[in-house]
Amino acid sequence: MVRLDDVPGDERLLDTLRWRLALRGTKEGCRSGGCGACTVLVDGVARLSCLTLTRELEGRAVTTIEGAGDDPVGRRVQEAFVAEVAAQCGYCTPGFVMAVTGLLRERGGATPSEELLEELGGNLCRCTGYVAIARAVERARGSLP
Amino acid sequence: MARELIVPGTEEAALAALRGRPAGEVAVLAGGTDLLLDLDDGRLSPQALLSLRCLPWSRHGWEGGRLRIGSTEPLADLEADPELAARLPALAQALAAVGSRPLRRQATVGGNLGRAAPASDLTPVLLALDAAVEVVGLGGPRPVPVDRFLVASRETELAPGELIRSVTIPEGRPRSAYLWQRVRLANDISQVGVAVAFSPSDRRWRVALGGAPPRPVLVPDAAAALAGDEPSPADVRTAVERLTAHPGLVGDRRASDEHRRRVAGVLLRRAVGVAVRPMSEARP
Repeated sequence: MVRLDDVPGDERLLDTLRWRLALRGTKEGCRSGGCGACTVLVDGVARLSCLTLTRELEGRAVTTIEGAGDDPVGRRVQEAFVAEVAAQCGYCTPGFVMAVTGLLRERGGATPSEELLEELGGNLCRCTGYVAIARAVERARGSLP
Repeated sequence: MARELIVPGTEEAALAALRGRPAGEVAVLAGGTDLLLDLDDGRLSPQALLSLRCLPWSRHGWEGGRLRIGSTEPLADLEADPELAARLPALAQALAAVGSRPLRRQATVGGNLGRAAPASDLTPVLLALDAAVEVVGLGGPRPVPVDRFLVASRETELAPGELIRSVTIPEGRPRSAYLWQRVRLANDISQVGVAVAFSPSDRRWRVALGGAPPRPVLVPDAAAALAGDEPSPADVRTAVERLTAHPGLVGDRRASDEHRRRVAGVLLRRAVGVAVRPMSEARP
């Protein structure tokens, strides 16, 4: 547990999560908003934790990859990534799962895959070539009621 | 280094927080998507951050045909407005080019203007749309045309103690478009961007060139070649000749001058095509 008052004014949410709360699932990739590895949900919407100041989140709810399975959409996204083996080193995976979860929560499962994939341009993967990730997105959107 | 975070609730409190403090002591924070990078690498070392998030500047609206965009409104909120996309397609196209969707939930027009990145995707469009910046400071609000506001790379006309309250666009320009070229679709910096906009009120085109340092510029001689609301292929060819001769098409680490020249010509031709196409078809 961390008191917001104890967090310096310019501390990033990414650092508060990883170092004060020991929630290491959220990854640091570029620390400049360009790779998406740090993606979390703030009030259910995908945000870049490396560019978010923790102190600006008073009253907001943050969901990290550790909590993704508690969300009905998040759980289906996780299952889809597992089923499609959509990870190699796994470093980008939490960011992708959170980004896809936020996207499907916002746009719904009826949104065509091409549109969803376009919206995921902020998430980079260096290992998979995105093919399995695209399959996981398609599978996840198809699994939504 | 722990920094003070000041979060004023009113414009007066925000201006007061800046008043009398030496330049560089307080950094102004809107979305922070550019500022935070400078804090991390030490390019800026303020003692305090002044967050604008609680100010009533995060809305946009049409007032008698003119669009006013609050400086701290997240780009994603602008992007979600279908009326804005219909009346100012060039702006909608530029918004979609900025970073990624999650980044646009934080990034703001005020921040984009204030940081004056040389290859911003928004500033060339604001030039083509004849936008003005509403600056507030000790002397009260004053409008500054974007063309005057942007001085050079990372340099604006904003004086110490001043803030950007809003940006106004004088009229809807449905015949407008913004096309760009870069390596990645998202989260990349454009090598070249071309914005075109036809004004329904004075029946003239404006052409702006972005992507090349030190700042985006209007290209009036290229614009002058375009006549009427549907320029002929010959008009467009002349406009392309004039644009590609522009000395602003320089080379840098992002692109050679030859590449910029060639691509700028293609983008201008396509942008005019997109601008005059019916709304339902236009998707660059």
